[in-house]
Amino acid sequence: MSLDSSDAREWQDLLDLLMPADANAIAKATDTISQTLTRLKVPEEKRLEVALAVQEALANAVVHGCENNPSKEVRCQLQCDSQGGILVRITDPGPGFNPLLLSDPRQPGKLYAEHGRGVSLIRQLMDEVHIERADAGNQITMRKY
Amino acid sequence: MDITVRKRSEVQLIRLRGPLRLGAAVDELRQVMEEAVGQGDTRIAINLAEVPMIDSSGIGLLVRFLASTKQRGGNIKLVQPSKFAVQTLRLVGVLNLFEIFDDDEAAVESFA
Repeated sequence: MSLDSSDAREWQDLLDLLMPADANAIAKATDTISQTLTRLKVPEEKRLEVALAVQEALANAVVHGCENNPSKEVRCQLQCDSQGGILVRITDPGPGFNPLLLSDPRQPGKLYAEHGRGVSLIRQLMDEVHIERADAGNQITMRKY
Repeated sequence: MDITVRKRSEVQLIRLRGPLRLGAAVDELRQVMEEAVGQGDTRIAINLAEVPMIDSSGIGLLVRFLASTKQRGGNIKLVQPSKFAVQTLRLVGVLNLFEIFDDDEAAVESFA
């Protein structure tokens, strides 16, 4: 089952960004999304949670999906509905991964690990998360009610 | 990210301004921390009052240096993290690894 915006409510397209797979381009994209949500008067807590989830998803796309190769591109799409719901879809050209194989970074033996927290954080910040292979590549779709 | 460093009572006080996230911000803080630890300054207090967001890369850096300073008899303590930063640290299970203070002075005194 995939999460998409083709359910009954009307989704408005807000942003459709293409960014180079570069760590410093992530900050610019995240800030653009945050500014857009601010203009829409999204409450601060919700805005911060979405922005951080986007930051994490873009980081995964750049680092793992594109292997930090700036000649590759990551696509970031933002939509909202009339009830304040937010949907973000991030696509990278990488081979994808099986999220079921990720271990829980909150286990005692992993607390001091330098990496491995991104997907766990995304799942806790957003209300729905789907990770799948799509025609365009590896895709994560995140929804906040 | 803007980083200022000063020393008080043998404690490195690092003040950050801006999001602590993958990219230049984390790279710059990593360099500051490596210099401090390399010079034997393992008692570090980081003021996060003006850090609106810490991503998992920033958290990874903090816990990595928490471990290395503790191994050397030091510590990293956090000052005035925002409500959202605290929430993020809690969500990834590392909040309880850190001592947290309301101001720089209290953090410095705690090393005594």
